Amino acid sequence: MIAAVARLTDKIFGRGEAAVTVPPLDGALRPNQMLDEAGKRFALADVDCLSVADGKLLASAGDTVFALDGRGKWKQRLQAEGQISCICTAGRGRLAVALANGEILIDGERLGGARINCPIALAEAGGVLYVASGSATNAPDDWQRDLLERNASGSLWRIDVASGKAEQIASGLAWPAGLAIDGNSIVVSEAWKHRLVRYDLANPGKPDVLYHDLPGYPGRISRAATGWWLAVFAPRSQLVEFVLREPVYRKRMLDEVEPAFWVSPKLRSGSSFYEPLQGGGVKHLGVVKPWAPAMSAGLSVRLDEAFQPVASLQSRADGSTHGVTSVLEHDGQVYVAARGDGVVVRLPTSAGGRDR
Amino acid sequence: MSYSDTFAYWRYRLVPDHMLGELLSKRWIDNAIPLLVLIFVVSLFGSLIPDFFGSANVTNLSRQWGEFGLIVLGLMIVMVAGGIDLSVGSTFALGNIVALTLLNVAELPMPVVVAATLAVGATVGLVNGVLVGFLRLRAFLTTLVTLIIVRAIVDMLLLKYSVRIAAAFPDSDAWYYLGEGFLLGIPFSAFAAGVVAIVAHLVLSRSRMGWHVLATGGSRRSAHNVGIPVRRVICSTYVISGMLAALAGVLFASRLGGAGADTGIGLEIAALTGAVLGGNSLGGGRGSAAKALIGSISVMIIVNSLLRLGVTSGANSLLLGILLLAAVAIDVRWLKNLNKVLSKVYVSPAFAALPKAPGTDPSSPYAINDKLGGVELIGLGEIDGPEDVILDADDNIYAGNRTGDIIRFFAPDYTRHEVYAHVGGRPLGMAFAKDGSLLVCIGGMGLYRVTQERDIEKLTDETNRSWVSIIDDSRLRLADDLDIAPDGRVFFSEATVRYEMHEWPVDGLESRGNGRIVCYDPSSRTTRTVLKNLKFPNGICMTHDGESFLFAETWACTVSRYWFAGAKKGTVETILPELPGYPDNINRASDGTFWLALVGIRTPSLDLALKMPGFRRRMARRIAPDEWLYPNINTGCVVRFTETGEVLDVMWDRAGDNHPMITSMREHKGHLYIGGILNNRIGKLKLDGADESWTGPESYWGKP
Repeated sequence: MIAAVARLTDKIFGRGEAAVTVPPLDGALRPNQMLDEAGKRFALADVDCLSVADGKLLASAGDTVFALDGRGKWKQRLQAEGQISCICTAGRGRLAVALANGEILIDGERLGGARINCPIALAEAGGVLYVASGSATNAPDDWQRDLLERNASGSLWRIDVASGKAEQIASGLAWPAGLAIDGNSIVVSEAWKHRLVRYDLANPGKPDVLYHDLPGYPGRISRAATGWWLAVFAPRSQLVEFVLREPVYRKRMLDEVEPAFWVSPKLRSGSSFYEPLQGGGVKHLGVVKPWAPAMSAGLSVRLDEAFQPVASLQSRADGSTHGVTSVLEHDGQVYVAARGDGVVVRLPTSAGGRDR
Repeated sequence: MSYSDTFAYWRYRLVPDHMLGELLSKRWIDNAIPLLVLIFVVSLFGSLIPDFFGSANVTNLSRQWGEFGLIVLGLMIVMVAGGIDLSVGSTFALGNIVALTLLNVAELPMPVVVAATLAVGATVGLVNGVLVGFLRLRAFLTTLVTLIIVRAIVDMLLLKYSVRIAAAFPDSDAWYYLGEGFLLGIPFSAFAAGVVAIVAHLVLSRSRMGWHVLATGGSRRSAHNVGIPVRRVICSTYVISGMLAALAGVLFASRLGGAGADTGIGLEIAALTGAVLGGNSLGGGRGSAAKALIGSISVMIIVNSLLRLGVTSGANSLLLGILLLAAVAIDVRWLKNLNKVLSKVYVSPAFAALPKAPGTDPSSPYAINDKLGGVELIGLGEIDGPEDVILDADDNIYAGNRTGDIIRFFAPDYTRHEVYAHVGGRPLGMAFAKDGSLLVCIGGMGLYRVTQERDIEKLTDETNRSWVSIIDDSRLRLADDLDIAPDGRVFFSEATVRYEMHEWPVDGLESRGNGRIVCYDPSSRTTRTVLKNLKFPNGICMTHDGESFLFAETWACTVSRYWFAGAKKGTVETILPELPGYPDNINRASDGTFWLALVGIRTPSLDLALKMPGFRRRMARRIAPDEWLYPNINTGCVVRFTETGEVLDVMWDRAGDNHPMITSMREHKGHLYIGGILNNRIGKLKLDGADESWTGPESYWGKP
């Protein structure tokens, strides 16, 4: 009763849960422009997920998996029958591919009869494939709708590669966009709750929260030489957080406004003048300020072994490397896939800083 | 319209939310709580005490109040200057005994008695004033000491003269008139207090002396720094307080004619309670005669009514003390929170649904293109925010900038420039008058003229105040664009009366009709408001018939035509009812049509928010202005249209590199010159097929 009254007054006065607060970019996340300043940029339209097989960097884009050859050119490696939503190595040089329609392929072969709705992240360990289903109702590319509907209907699955048997480990996840196997546990990035959580694989009950209140929506996680890389695919913004607390406006916007022009985080914003503009984003003297509030940005975070942030590679509002969906360390270099701008950039690993 | 839209429409049409903020922004709103207290006190005791409103009781109360009110007024003046006077009770008693002694023992005539007593009161005040004002002693301690000393003097006088006072019976009608007479049906003391209150109000609010007192109380150091004789001002407030207390003592003496040891005991607490309860701040700087009146009447009624109800005098003092504490607490909270509340409630968005926006696809008249891609740039990086650009007969360009200058770029190549005139403010719309002088609307200042000799003259900075407006709308806050009628009258737009120039995004968030069009008549030098309740009226341009002009309403996304003369005089007709973006300046084209700048393009997300005022209000309160949903002013275009509302041509800068936002454009000799209020360049574009001899001033005033 008291809690209900408190919630109501909070709503009226904008306190507590209704307060619009976004953590500042500070500490390890101090703004920088390293992604834009990266020496090597490999353009690849709609690049999404990075992986490594046979010593080569792989990247998925649309329905195709490309490999980066020694001269910096993309060579087609595999073409699927539908939109690819994520890829990962599945041991012994094999490649697991999840399609947006829910099919899982291993080296082009369909894995069992399993069909996981909205598979958005994969991880493999010891002949077991872990699949994150982003949402029970939306497809991978409808992630903005899933956020604006404030869903938490994602789930986590375990599939035995040999038998193709699927088993649900966890449910009620808010868009689990990234998976990482860490010993006997699995770390999941819950995008809509802006946090990383850890499930014990032997006994997946209540998860431990490792890193919470990120200033963006965390996505895929990958192994670094020491620690981990986390791709943060879109920044949080006060305006979006505010709209998320406005059910009537949100519903009408979903119904009446074209998705491209919603007030919602994006992989790349500012490509049309019909998109919402925020006060700080107004061009002054012909320039967009780097600090301008934006619906998209480039952000990848280097985490230590305990999943705490150590350093970050960023592209700010005026930058050209937005919508980081995947980060991968390979051959002593860091590759960052920015889907918003259709580019993979390469930086030296030292750019990611050292463990504390 | 959907059901919820209809509901929102009527809800925001019928409830004037914006008035609450405007009320709270008035200075007299400080009286609201004291007035409520007074009404409560009157109705409480009016119902408890029989015959409370009877003439006998009212006369009796008002006679006593006259004396008390004078003391509170004196104390108020001291408090406004930042001090406090605790000696008023003793001075009152001193005035009483001195007046009686002079009258009964020395047997002086009434006027001399009054004058001498006032002089004694003034002397006590002067002692306080010199100690506090000039020697900078603490007011509280000093007046506490004078309270004791003066009380001691009163006791000594009592010992010496009380028997002789009691024995004498002065035979003077004039003397008794002070305490028992009526003037215009009002007890004399109440009349005197009323007169003093009116004088105090006029002095405090309308005179240099009063402003000095208020300034000293508001911030002693700042007052000193601007050259106010702080010490003298403070000293004089104590003298006035002493005189008024002594005057109250004279009136008391005349009414009761007796001297007792308890006269004026505890009066300072009652007076202080009255002053603070009325809303006079203990910290100084805030107070008025009205507050003193309200507070003193409340306290008078409470004290007297409690006596009549048979409450013991101890309980009476206790209650006064509690009241004083409560009043101080409320005063502190009010002061602390008023501006907080004001900042929360002042912004009050309206229901502002726009018609469906026309598209920008190839089939639309507003189809996107890259015609502005080929502009030549003038003054890139050298000019900060040319809102409007205009060219003279010698092809020189004039443009305002953010730092309050009018910059002139020299023909023919525009590589050199000079500050043509420094006007201060923010130069916005410009027009050449018939005599070649440049008329400028200056944001924050009003309508100005820069003559050919570069003299800067103010034409007008105020218009008639409207009767129904709560805020004072006579000052011009944001004169925006102007044009000149053939008879010399200047019509100019004022974008908003509720906000300052730099707060224009807040006005956009409100999207209420806060703007107006004003006419300045140079022949009679008068300024009158012509059209009201317009949604950010912006560009103004005379049509060719000499009887009407076109004006753009930015937040309404419309262009309308207004007839100021002729058969259709006074009528408004909307000629472009739905634009894809936000219109800014309008200017003449060489072929008899008009140019219109669109400063930004409507976005579906904001169009939806315009139908949801509550959403916008919460947005304004909860997130920083830099994060607000704005009209998309990062993309604009230039539109050419006819008087009948036909769109002939649209020119875009698709990449947005040179002209992301366009606030004005001016055609001159076959070229179009483009300005933007947040831009750092002026664009020059060759117009195909335009008359290469046509200039704006010639179109208005003919060949020189």
